[in-house]
Amino acid sequence: MSVIKQVTRDEWRFWHRTKLAATIIIIGTLLTLVSAVVNTLEMQHASHEREHLQQSAQAQFLEQPDRHPHRMVHYGHYVFRTPSALSIIEPGVDAFTGTSIFLEGHKQNTAMFSDQRQASGMTRFSSLTPSFLLQVLVPLFIILIGYASVTREKEAGTLNIMITQGINVWHLLLGKYFALVSSGLLMLLPLIIAAIWASIKGESALITSSFVAGYILYILVWSGIVLAVSAINKKNSASFAILVSLWIVLCILLPRIGSSSAAAIAPSPSKLEADFAVKEELRKLGDGHDAADPAFEQLKKNLLTKYNVDKVEDLPINFRGTVAQYSEKKLTEILNQFAEKRMQEELEQAHIARQFGWVTPTTAIRSFSMLVAGTSLETHHRFLREAEKLRFDFVQSLNKVHQDNLSYEADANRNKNADATKAARVDAANWQVLSEFSFKPDTAQTRLFRSAIYAVQLFFWFGLIVLLLRFAVRRIS
Amino acid sequence: MQKEMIVASSLCVRFAKQTVLDEVNFKVGQGEVFALLGGNGAGKSTTLKTFLGTIAPQSGTATVMGMSVTKDIDSIRQKVAYLPESVMLYGHLTGVENIKYFLSLADIEKSAPDIEQALMRVALQKSAWHRPMSNYSKGMRQKTAIALALLREAPVLFLDEPTSGLDPNAIDEFNRLIKTLAADGATVFMVTHDVYGACQVAHRIGLLDNGKIVGMFERKDQAHIDTEEVHAAFSARSQQ
Repeated sequence: MSVIKQVTRDEWRFWHRTKLAATIIIIGTLLTLVSAVVNTLEMQHASHEREHLQQSAQAQFLEQPDRHPHRMVHYGHYVFRTPSALSIIEPGVDAFTGTSIFLEGHKQNTAMFSDQRQASGMTRFSSLTPSFLLQVLVPLFIILIGYASVTREKEAGTLNIMITQGINVWHLLLGKYFALVSSGLLMLLPLIIAAIWASIKGESALITSSFVAGYILYILVWSGIVLAVSAINKKNSASFAILVSLWIVLCILLPRIGSSSAAAIAPSPSKLEADFAVKEELRKLGDGHDAADPAFEQLKKNLLTKYNVDKVEDLPINFRGTVAQYSEKKLTEILNQFAEKRMQEELEQAHIARQFGWVTPTTAIRSFSMLVAGTSLETHHRFLREAEKLRFDFVQSLNKVHQDNLSYEADANRNKNADATKAARVDAANWQVLSEFSFKPDTAQTRLFRSAIYAVQLFFWFGLIVLLLRFAVRRIS
Repeated sequence: MQKEMIVASSLCVRFAKQTVLDEVNFKVGQGEVFALLGGNGAGKSTTLKTFLGTIAPQSGTATVMGMSVTKDIDSIRQKVAYLPESVMLYGHLTGVENIKYFLSLADIEKSAPDIEQALMRVALQKSAWHRPMSNYSKGMRQKTAIALALLREAPVLFLDEPTSGLDPNAIDEFNRLIKTLAADGATVFMVTHDVYGACQVAHRIGLLDNGKIVGMFERKDQAHIDTEEVHAAFSARSQQ
């Protein structure tokens, strides 16, 4: 044990005295720290802004004067989702999908205000999120620090002296491994601090500790890859070239190939195609704004029969409001059908892309990180479903006001003159139809259950590294 | 002969179809300096690597202190010290730090006075002790490595071309040191192509050619082995 400790200590002493490795460690740690701090501040700012916007959107809606109820349907309303506490480290899909939706009648709007959408031109890819740093750049830093861990001993001849002095090669490699892991953990320090902060902010301790454990496992894997390659090769240059190539393949190429393969294996229609298909279906429903549309003839007959009257003017309810309700219900069913199909396609693609975690640890940690942090596609889909439910309830409540509180005659004549328009308004007290939107993160158990397979992928990688190190030890011995 | 410390018995090493060591036999006793002399490709380094356990013999036996290199290499490595042709300890550490580090790897603890005494014994100038080893000359690095061997109390030293690249003064100094170590009971096995140096320091010289021991020269009552005799045999073999 003391030999392992000595080797670890000497490795640190070497990094300290040669300056280069020490500089890389400092840069890596500072970069992650700065990124975490900046992201936290941005999130806090966004959170305050979101809270302010949520309140002002609600207040503006409620402050609307007496109006025709259908105008309020189109006036719409915003809902905002508070991102999970760990999204300061792992923004996940939120950066692309956004965290707010504009709710209005007859439409299912996509989420908006994502970081990526708000950025433009040159700044679009400039945001260095802590998760990107940890998943992509930290492995590169570990390579720069450790590519010569063993090859420099070979080139200098000190490894020969150690071996002929009877040092246990496992002890030597473990000592160097712990040194490399500890340098990686140092760069992980901001993540650990952020995880503690998230726990204080109410995130489950089980989640934050699993999140940190996943990244520790990732550091263990990359440190192992670096050490094994350095131990197997004879020259610093060969070790460096192989490791940088591996980094490009594992961190850059394979995750992208994963996404592209998923899109190729489970193709989904383009937005234009999807919109066209939706429009095609909706056209069959008839225009909900036009109560005389033949599509509502059967509804009209049923109502006349039900209330035993001859014409819609004699109905005790506003037929136009009923049509609006009926039309919105049918329309929502179709929109939901398309939305569910779309979400299934997205999930299928995500599942295919995530299988690449078996061929690259970067995809494994990315999937694990997003699912544990609650910034995954699954969470986004739940947000869309909950927001849609709220939209439907809010629109139908206004349609009900339209049906019950506004006479058909006043409604039908609303465009005749100014007085008629005024007469076709309902009291602003009717705008109290908004339910409070509160999106809660998935439970710790749900998130851990979903991410378990990706933890297995990381353990699989760790197992591979142990085998690789065993091979390296045998080769050196 | 005193206690047999290093023994090669019908030692054969082959790489693919090429025989590198062919029925090599010799014995080195305690306190003896044995030089294996030969030209390039004679099999000197292979012999050395066989005793250090980095090459496995196809037949015959090689033992160090009675232990077989094929069965007890870990135990052998605890007992021997090896000085490669170019001793490269850690350039980022000082001489003293290098010694402390390598001792700690062997799980040996020595006090600062012990280390200083060893460094004085190998005549490494005091001003160099706490300087980074990257500034050391080859001779200084060798002295540090020998000081390490002394502190490890290694009874057997394997040296690979120890005087190559050293200036004449450093060679004399090195030879004196090796003789002192042998007088104190250490067994020294060195491979070299330096005829003069081997004759100066060795008790016996084995002449290796094409993987075979073709001559054995011994210091009897003289201060050193007859250089001319060895040189003649060496040259004759080289011209064949």
